[in-house]
Amino acid sequence: MIRVRGMRKSYRTGKLVNEVLRGVDFEVDHGELVSIVGPSGSGKSTLLHAVGGLDRDYEGSIEVDGRDLRSLSDDALSDYRNRSVGFVFQSFYLLPHLTVLENVALPAVFTRGTQRLGDAAATARAREVLEQVELGARTDSTPTMLSGGQRQRVAIARALFNRPTLMLCDEPTGNLDSKMGAQILALFHALNRDAHITVMIVTHDSRISAATPRTLRVEDGALHDERRELGPPVPSAAVVPAAEAP
Amino acid sequence: MSGLRRVIAADLQRSRSHFLLASIGIVVGIATFTFFIALSQGVRAVVLGRIFPLDQLEVVPKSLDIAIGPLAIGTSTLGGDVIDDARVRQINALPGVETVYPKMRLTVPAIALGGESLLGADLRSEIVADGIEPALVAADVGAGFEFRDFDAEPGTPKACTTDDECGERRYCGAPAGTRLERKSRNDDTGRVPEGTATVCRDYVPVLASEHVVELYNGALRRAHGFPKLVPDSVLGFTFELVIGSSMVGASNKGHLVRERAMLVGFSRKAIALGLTIPLGYVRRLNVDFGQPEDAQRYHSVVVMVPNKNDVAAVAKGVSDLNLVVADTGAEQAALLIAIFTLIFALVSAVIVGIAAVNIMHVFFMLVYERQHEIGIMRAIGARRGDITRIIMGEAASLGFVSGLAGVALAFGASFGFDWISQTYVPDFPYKPETYFEFPWWLLLAALAFAVSFCILGAFLPARRAARMEPAAVLSGH
Repeated sequence: MIRVRGMRKSYRTGKLVNEVLRGVDFEVDHGELVSIVGPSGSGKSTLLHAVGGLDRDYEGSIEVDGRDLRSLSDDALSDYRNRSVGFVFQSFYLLPHLTVLENVALPAVFTRGTQRLGDAAATARAREVLEQVELGARTDSTPTMLSGGQRQRVAIARALFNRPTLMLCDEPTGNLDSKMGAQILALFHALNRDAHITVMIVTHDSRISAATPRTLRVEDGALHDERRELGPPVPSAAVVPAAEAP
Repeated sequence: MSGLRRVIAADLQRSRSHFLLASIGIVVGIATFTFFIALSQGVRAVVLGRIFPLDQLEVVPKSLDIAIGPLAIGTSTLGGDVIDDARVRQINALPGVETVYPKMRLTVPAIALGGESLLGADLRSEIVADGIEPALVAADVGAGFEFRDFDAEPGTPKACTTDDECGERRYCGAPAGTRLERKSRNDDTGRVPEGTATVCRDYVPVLASEHVVELYNGALRRAHGFPKLVPDSVLGFTFELVIGSSMVGASNKGHLVRERAMLVGFSRKAIALGLTIPLGYVRRLNVDFGQPEDAQRYHSVVVMVPNKNDVAAVAKGVSDLNLVVADTGAEQAALLIAIFTLIFALVSAVIVGIAAVNIMHVFFMLVYERQHEIGIMRAIGARRGDITRIIMGEAASLGFVSGLAGVALAFGASFGFDWISQTYVPDFPYKPETYFEFPWWLLLAALAFAVSFCILGAFLPARRAARMEPAAVLSGH
């Protein structure tokens, strides 16, 4: 469970201080699919980064499964990101000099302790998640050889590699056409529905927010919580095996 | 390969053109460092190993001379500059001394005659000679030759009339110590006393210093158009010694002693420019032409000090015995070499230092170029230490490869240098086959030097990379 209390965040540009979040409070339960919307610069991504432990420079508190993220050391926060969070960004951020397989297995390089996978196990796991996103045949390709939608699916596979409980997506369809965007959205729905992964999606796209049962609207530093009843589930192009379920 | 090493290898591969340019300075610096240190080591080996050996000291009496115009008057003039047997034993007892080699100078003028069989023409030369205990130079005597006092051996020599009757390496001549009468003051031949029977004799064995051959090959032979000599091939060369005679007529003695001598080896313990023969011959000749007490008057002692760290203590002990270590120039040579080594090492350090600054710029640029990648690695769980290790790993790898290339370049340059020397540079005394020595520690030092400076250069960029806030670089804030 994610619990955010009194979160404030401001950016300073020279002498100008822009307070983007002014004491927001919200909670997200396990297995929820939540979209975060709002105008540019309203603090959507800031909120997402803070929940994902990428940013500790804020006021207030963020608890994830009872852990106050600000109280964690930098190394502990890295481990939290490595084991519990999967990030998907608008620009994919794949490493261009690594193959698809190496990109997907990259989190294994930074995993410590007993959860660390050996080379063979990491490769097997990377192949497994690539199959899930229907890119099992492109393991040896480099990112430059893929389309935008394929790259985003590689990024999703990388996010899934360590079996995260929380998936944070920052404008994941921003660089994709509408058809490809719909496929990616369907993939998130499937992951949320079948693997019970909590998914938070920052988006400008009203079609995406309309397709999520809950939307957090960030406006003028405040947060408005909107819930809606959805129709039948969005069809998924991907198959998420039952084994993925926690 | 571990995951982190794979990431490092992939980064190196991807940025190879950047790294190639960045490594040029390191390669040149390390090559300079290795080349000049190896050169100084090689020169040091020749200068201090062959010309001024540091493991042996020549101890001489303190000379209390006073300069009067061009002349020095004092103990050396009055014959006080000698060392007796008791003093030799005291030197031998000093801590750190392995062995002592008492040397007795031939105090009689002498001339060497001969050389036609070797050089094509007879030479006549004033010579200096000293005597040494044969046991102490046994290792330096050529195979099949002997260096001992044959004339001190008991027994009656075999009478003869021709050399053929005496066998190999022997000759038929007047008995040992036969005094020849001079017809005049300038007579070098002398006359054997009537009724003296000839007997089979052994040649006086002679050791020479390598200095003599080096000087001959490097300088003298050119002036006279003589052939170049290979030390081992001149062993067995015979010539005649005329003791008591001098090219300075006023120094001639009232009688002569003629001996035939044979070169039997080369030795570092031999007198630098002259001949070294068994001590017994010199002792008898000095007594023959001087006083009975001359049999115990040594002029120097070569002291072997195997551990260089003991040299200072031995020198002090020698000084306490009212003796001094003869100045061979070794200290000055060692100092000069050390200064040159230091200068070239500093020049190399400056080059490598400048290269390290260049490497720092390259890594700063790479960190800036890769900031999103660093951000995503942090997002998927890389710790600050992981980022530092990746950057430092790249720097260390760059340093290692650059160091290897620098060492290889130094090797290549040294081979080229030696080849030019052997091909185009005329012979000179002590001209070595190679001017370089590459000890293992030099190669390790060169690699460590390269790796250290690369790591130093990458330190600040790595720190900056590790301190990047992932949220900031991924969102562009």
